[in-house]
Amino acid sequence: MTQIIKARGLGKSYHGVRALDAVNLDVEAGRIVGLIGPNGAGKTTALKAILGLTPFEGELEVMGKNPYVERDSLMREVCFIADVAVMPRWLRVYQALDFVAGVQPRFDRARAEGFLSKTDIKRASRVRELSKGMVTQLHLALILAIDARLLVLDEPTLGLDLLFRRQFYDTLVNDYFDKERTILVTTHQVEEIENLLTDVIFIQRGRIALSTSVEDLGARYVQLTASAEQARLARQLQPFHEREVFGRVVLLFEGRSPQELQQFGDIRTPSIADLFVAKMQGDAA
Amino acid sequence: MNIMPILVRRELWEHRALWIVPLVIAGLIVVAAMFPHASMQIDSADVATPQKYRDLFALFHAVLTVPQLLLLSVLLPYYLLDCLYAERKDRSILFWKALPVSDAQTVLSKLLVALVVVPLGVFVLTLFTDVAASAILDVRFHNSPMVRALLHWDTGIWLRTQGLILAAVAVAVLWYAPIAAYLMLISAWARRNAFLWAALPPLVAMLIEKIAFGTHEIAKLLGYRLHLPSGVLGINPAAAGGHAAGMFDTMRPWVAFVNIDFWLGLAVAAALVWLTIRIRRHQEDG
Repeated sequence: MTQIIKARGLGKSYHGVRALDAVNLDVEAGRIVGLIGPNGAGKTTALKAILGLTPFEGELEVMGKNPYVERDSLMREVCFIADVAVMPRWLRVYQALDFVAGVQPRFDRARAEGFLSKTDIKRASRVRELSKGMVTQLHLALILAIDARLLVLDEPTLGLDLLFRRQFYDTLVNDYFDKERTILVTTHQVEEIENLLTDVIFIQRGRIALSTSVEDLGARYVQLTASAEQARLARQLQPFHEREVFGRVVLLFEGRSPQELQQFGDIRTPSIADLFVAKMQGDAA
Repeated sequence: MNIMPILVRRELWEHRALWIVPLVIAGLIVVAAMFPHASMQIDSADVATPQKYRDLFALFHAVLTVPQLLLLSVLLPYYLLDCLYAERKDRSILFWKALPVSDAQTVLSKLLVALVVVPLGVFVLTLFTDVAASAILDVRFHNSPMVRALLHWDTGIWLRTQGLILAAVAVAVLWYAPIAAYLMLISAWARRNAFLWAALPPLVAMLIEKIAFGTHEIAKLLGYRLHLPSGVLGINPAAAGGHAAGMFDTMRPWVAFVNIDFWLGLAVAAALVWLTIRIRRHQEDG
């Protein structure tokens, strides 16, 4: 497996506040990694360091390069969408195509035109004349036509309606992703992306709270839904989180086998969203 | 892959005033030449000798072109102050930084636009304006022998005049390079109101100097740099006899290359550009 991102003791402070603290990170090729955390947890700071936009402490390699020192050459193989708002409003669609084609050797213009022909976006329109959804479509058409090895998405669907959000991720998975490419995505809308992730990393207060592949998730975590009576017995197995739903108790266990737990009630693998809430609340308590 | 041409095109897409305004002014000059009430008064004494004729011919063509070049002193400072400020104001800086373009390439492309592309483009435009306006006037005043004498086309003098103007533009641009680099630096640095920030440091420095030492050295230095001294262009007003017409006869723009102040200015410009690149490199979003 080729290692795409490797961080050891990655750190960063803003005005004395630790935004990232001793972060270790390993991302391999062909994965879709969700970097998930509450607002202000350090997601964006981590991405900025990975994209070479900010100096950092510790060790960080992206495809074997120090991103801060070699940002320009790294950007030939890395693409990112930070937020839909960042496309300049004066730019015309054909100018955007011309520009990216002019500076990015791995850009396939015909492919971008192909994406655009499926939309209502006109070549002569300025970004300011497009709806927010169309701007995302345009941005996506540009990015997906770049043969990048690493795609970084920072809250890519913020402010979009459900139809566009769904379309965005469908295009990403169906038309773009393959085993050679790696996608790193941050969002706080976990439910939206949990079905497409292969790996999850939870980040909280600048530290990694959990880093696992989705396959391993089922082996590590079990969610038990039981009556109040049964829950009392199950608590002896030390759940790390519990909550009540419609009079039943939902307990989360780490490192317990399903066999041990099924006698108390219904068991299943927790969703990433449930696990995220449990981890964040548990650690905050 | 040489990306400079596309970076330059990008600047002209964003800052359309850089080419629209010169085109409009050129159009107005050509239209003015057609204007029925435009009249020309020429005394026969003005073209009495070949020397006088040559001077007047040069002056005539300079008058048709120099206003467009002076326009640059408004357009370019405005552009330079905006060029690195706008991308932060509209938050598009991360879009640009997502592409494999280095900060040095970005900053240098903007400098190239301000110091080479636009001045050269406007100069070429003035040649067309000059020829078009001259041709129109030639047709309109074909009954006036005096004006016809003036308009009598002399390619040699015309080329020499335009060559001198081009050399003067080149020297002027390089003379103003430290000012241009300073404006870019402010553009990359100011969080808001780049225009105010550009004016503030020199004003404060002058004030402090005035209070502390009661002198005006900074003001003098700035005045010297801002007002392109005729000596830098090799113009000798005394030799020209105070007549504007004689200006082109005495002009020697290449003397700038042996002027230490000229080179000092370029050194300062290089340092400021280096600093501008550093600042843009450290700029993250917000």
